[in-house]
Amino acid sequence: MLRIDNLVKTFAGERRKRSRNGNGDAKGPAKIFAVNDVSFEVGEGELFTLLGPSGCGKTTTLRSIAGLERPDAGHIALTERVLFSSKPGEKPVNVPANSRGLGMVFQSYAIWPHMTVFNNVAFPLQVMKRAERPGKREISERVMRVLETMELASFADRHATKLSGGQQQRLALARAVVIEPSLLLLDEPLSNLDAKLRESLRYELKRLQRELGITSVYVTHDQIEALALSSKIAVMSDGSLVQMGRPRDVYQNPSNKFVAEFIGTSNFISGVVSGHNGERYTVETNDGRLLLDSAADMPDGTEVVVSIRPESMELSEQHRPGQPNQWSGNVLTRAFLGDSVDHVIGVGKHELRVRCNPSISIAPGTDVYLRMPPDRLSLVPVN
Amino acid sequence: MNAFKAGLVVASAAALLAACGGGPPTEGGGAAGEPNAKTADYSQWLELTGKERHDVLVTAAEKEGKLSLYTSLSAEVVDELADAWEETYEDIDLEIYRASGEEVLPRILQENAAGYGGADVVETNATEMEVLGNKGLLQPYQGDALQRVPAEGKFGTWTATRFNVFAPSWNTDIVKQGDEPKTWEDLADPAYKGKLALEIDDYDWYMGLHDYWRAEGKSEEEIDKLFQAMAANAKKVKGHSVMAEMTSSGQFGVAASNYTYIVEELKADGAPIELEPLVSPVILRPNGAGLMKTAQHPAAALLFKDWLLDDGQQVLQELNMTPSTDLEGDLGGTDHVMLDVEKVVAENEKWSKGYEQLLSGSAGTN
Amino acid sequence: MMTTASPAVGTDTVAASAWWRRWLPTPKMLILGVVGLVIGYLALVPLYYLLWGTFFDADGVSVAGFERAYGNSQIFELIGNSLWFAAGAAVLSLVVGTALAYLNVRTDVPFKALFFAASIVPLIIPGILYTISWILLASPEIGLVNKLVEPVFGSGTFDVFTIWGMIWVEGLHLSPIVFLLMVAAFRSMDPSLEESALMSGATRWQVFRKVTVPLARPAIVASILIMVVRSLESFEVPALLGLQNGIYVFTSRIYFVLRSYPPDFAAAGALAVGLLILAIIGVALSNIVGRSGKNYQTVTGKGFRPRPMELGKWRSVVGAGIILYFILTVIAPLVVLLYTSLLKYYTAPTLNVFKTMTLENYRELIGMSKAVTALRNSLILGIGSATLVMAFMAIAAWFVVRSRVRGRQVVDQLAFVPLVIPGLVLGLALSFVYLRSPIPIYGTLFILLIAYCTRYMPYGMRYAVTSMHQISSELEESAHVSGASWWQTFRRVIVPLLAPGLLAGWVYILVVSFRELSSSILLYSPGNEVLSILIFEQFEDGEFTVLSALGVVMVLTLILLVSIAYKLGAKVGLNRTN
Repeated sequence: MLRIDNLVKTFAGERRKRSRNGNGDAKGPAKIFAVNDVSFEVGEGELFTLLGPSGCGKTTTLRSIAGLERPDAGHIALTERVLFSSKPGEKPVNVPANSRGLGMVFQSYAIWPHMTVFNNVAFPLQVMKRAERPGKREISERVMRVLETMELASFADRHATKLSGGQQQRLALARAVVIEPSLLLLDEPLSNLDAKLRESLRYELKRLQRELGITSVYVTHDQIEALALSSKIAVMSDGSLVQMGRPRDVYQNPSNKFVAEFIGTSNFISGVVSGHNGERYTVETNDGRLLLDSAADMPDGTEVVVSIRPESMELSEQHRPGQPNQWSGNVLTRAFLGDSVDHVIGVGKHELRVRCNPSISIAPGTDVYLRMPPDRLSLVPVN
Repeated sequence: MNAFKAGLVVASAAALLAACGGGPPTEGGGAAGEPNAKTADYSQWLELTGKERHDVLVTAAEKEGKLSLYTSLSAEVVDELADAWEETYEDIDLEIYRASGEEVLPRILQENAAGYGGADVVETNATEMEVLGNKGLLQPYQGDALQRVPAEGKFGTWTATRFNVFAPSWNTDIVKQGDEPKTWEDLADPAYKGKLALEIDDYDWYMGLHDYWRAEGKSEEEIDKLFQAMAANAKKVKGHSVMAEMTSSGQFGVAASNYTYIVEELKADGAPIELEPLVSPVILRPNGAGLMKTAQHPAAALLFKDWLLDDGQQVLQELNMTPSTDLEGDLGGTDHVMLDVEKVVAENEKWSKGYEQLLSGSAGTN
Repeated sequence: MMTTASPAVGTDTVAASAWWRRWLPTPKMLILGVVGLVIGYLALVPLYYLLWGTFFDADGVSVAGFERAYGNSQIFELIGNSLWFAAGAAVLSLVVGTALAYLNVRTDVPFKALFFAASIVPLIIPGILYTISWILLASPEIGLVNKLVEPVFGSGTFDVFTIWGMIWVEGLHLSPIVFLLMVAAFRSMDPSLEESALMSGATRWQVFRKVTVPLARPAIVASILIMVVRSLESFEVPALLGLQNGIYVFTSRIYFVLRSYPPDFAAAGALAVGLLILAIIGVALSNIVGRSGKNYQTVTGKGFRPRPMELGKWRSVVGAGIILYFILTVIAPLVVLLYTSLLKYYTAPTLNVFKTMTLENYRELIGMSKAVTALRNSLILGIGSATLVMAFMAIAAWFVVRSRVRGRQVVDQLAFVPLVIPGLVLGLALSFVYLRSPIPIYGTLFILLIAYCTRYMPYGMRYAVTSMHQISSELEESAHVSGASWWQTFRRVIVPLLAPGLLAGWVYILVVSFRELSSSILLYSPGNEVLSILIFEQFEDGEFTVLSALGVVMVLTLILLVSIAYKLGAKVGLNRTN
């Protein structure tokens, strides 16, 4: 459906950092790669999420799709339609933003404060080319239909600025989908809301997206949002795409430390591969040996980091014989989180975070045993 | 950085313009010596006299139908003059451009340089008239009316129509009877300290008084001393009207050099301001009218000038002005000295600088 | 102009366009190009004339003008006086204007309508009259205020003829410019930004200092810029108040060198060039400040409900302060004006004087043949130039703030140039050009319109740019993504959002255009008289009483116009206060 190939966007980097890729060429202008050779594909009806910390290039990628930024190089196509292309030797293409026919929800919603709710939504229809523009009555019908879907119909004549945060967010969405775009772009649409509202709107958004069946590209820095909403996640860091996959895969098998760290909470234990048999690896660490399953191909002697999610570990005061990866440690602190209890366990020099069922709560100072199931450990190469 | 870039752009744009078009003249359009517009032919009428001249001119002027006057006469006077003119010559439309002499002159020079015949007649201060004459823009005048104009009012290319009379005036609440200045020298009297007002543009008066004192036999030193004492007494003010207004309202006790007609008008309204007995001698500065060589309506122009030196003079007199054809009658025997107009123009810089220095030198002594 | 011809404008190449279409300018390019050209043309004509006169004489290039202008033992004193005066007036007007605007827009201060009038009226009263009324109020010799406080403080408490007096009068006279700019800025500011600071434990004063003022920075910088240049250029106040005690400033100097014959354009130009350099640096600085981040984009797509801050127990104190300010800066000068307009000549008020009051001056005004024509012409020119300038500057502001065209800053600086060109020079430059133009503009009202547009372009630009800085770019992008073309976005999103600023600029230009004299006097022709010329004539004739009557009429006319404008403007622009 949407296909991005080798997208590159640089900014003149006169201020902050110098180019990482620049090989010390002091004469050339320093450039910052906001987006560095990014490619991906979004399938029909998918909700594709670009996830990453601020400054990772996700918004620039989205804006490049929207036509608000002009990439330096690359190729952007929506089904058969080329939106941007700059292949050497070919005629460059850059369809202006207002001819791309996309819908977009901005971080600040960008609701026009001088218009009513109705007019905000009607605007995209009113500015269509004369030949395609629907009649007044049809515009009114379509706007009201969308407003009803968004449960905003009763506010139609209000000034847009008089809506609450959640209503404004829905209004922004209504405006974006009123032309029934083939692609919907969402730039951190929930980041301006309070936690409670954010959670409820997250599901609302997912429901709407499914109902409307619009292919969407979603940008966020919130991993929970990404995991909850997406059909596919692409994690970005420093302008590059570092991992792409279904939410569960990305969460459970982070391909590197950055992803593991960024998505959810992870414990990291560094060590050296001491042997492997098929997919069963043995890793020697300072605090003991770990057995784990991994599809990765790593020769013996490779320096690695083993990562494990807090909720994947088990905690007990008794030693359970016959189970692999059982380490002894000491409870340093604990925190009650309502639906779970977090313990921080000191093992040698490591401090590992373990999330337990609320029924388990062990007082600090107690000696405990930690178990790490081999299929829950993942092997992350160092760099 | 931006400023620099902008500067470059501006500079190069200017250079470009300069390269392809040449520049505007450096003196406000005054570079053109010869008028470019078509020169009007006055010769057919100048020799005529009496009723014949009047009739021929009226016929020709009515055919022209219009007359354009550029003047620095005050609005009130202009309005009265225009009314009087239209009563007599209703078929000759009088169009008036009115501004101060400082604007009338550059406007005429600017128009003339572009070959645009805007003015038919000019009526303004002596200095500006003299410059116009020197530039060869004025048609020398001939006519019966000239006989009534005193020698001091006749200039090569233009003719005085009225005189501005410089004399001290004072607020009668502040300056008690008997304490008023009786001579110009009195203005240097320390008794007027902080009460005297000097107008910052009156360098021509400054020159006139200087020349008078020289002629009287005073040395340069004595004169300098007098002026410095005057300046030490003085507050400075810009504009004769403000000067008069401020005098009548009590801000100043004595105005050194106001125009008598301004003071008389206020006095007539009942303001506590006085200028009589007039100091002796008063200093006169002519204002005059001249015919433009580039006039589009020469007959009307000539008719107007004839009229201004004849019936127009009465209008001026009624408005407390001092008409040039009845100088003695208007002054009622008061002594007067005439400003040397040619000298003011020729030594303009010297006197204006000198006066400026005199005034600013007194800063802080107040 | 080179700035608009830059290829970067044409980034939006339509994919399907035929080869020749790419060479056809898009409407956006065309509009920007035209606006850029017009600004360049309006600014460069007088600038060229000025620079030519400054650097060239009969013998070619010369800097003799600079020697004559600056080679004077008193120049340092002049510059010192000027800077002191300009800085003082700028600070005073900034403080007064900002405080008034803040109180008016952001708090529940009483007497808001009165207040608004009070803040604008000083702008409407012609400078000459305003200054003279202050002489009549605060001269040590005859000042009414001095007479009033004499029993308590002794005679001559206030002296308007000092540098402080000059700063006071000029500062108050200029404060409406700041007021208008700041009102527009405050109107489009989300109060939650302030409220959040208040909730963080900051006091009101800290909030004002640390949140409100920084957010309004583009408007403040613009105000300072205009104020300083304006006061450096101001003539009436230094001439009427400064000269009396020998306080000479920059403009006195320009006046002296232009006064004599032949007028020393080289020296006047050299002085103006000095101002020009100052101004260009100022514009560049203000752009750097304005550009340093999106922090000033206070008009975002998130709605806000402006709730006026409650002053609580301070309400009555502030209310009293406002009444006092109103009496001091508006009522007092206006009363003096009104009082004078009923007299035959000015005299201190006594019982006797009240008996002799008459409407004679107003009768004279009605009888004045040119008064009606002049009023009509002034209205045409004022409304025409205000509308044209604000329309063009709205586009130009987008060009400068939003476009990425290389050299866009030059447009900004060009638009600022006319501020430093003496009115007389502008008049000469325009007459020079249009006397030679094949289009018969000379001698018509059009040449005045061009002059006014040129003179007021800098103000319009400041008002528009300041407002543009406040509008979040996402509001524009969202329209663009919604399918709106550049022009549709501009018309339907940007202009309405700019409305408060555009309206403020419009009002300012309308009001000050009624006073424009220095270039009008050279360019008008019979039948094209404007009000300011009538005022000048009355002034020259010493008809202060008629002049005062004219001033009263002008103040009333403009108050009416401004009220109508705001009533209409409230419907067009951001409807936020209701």
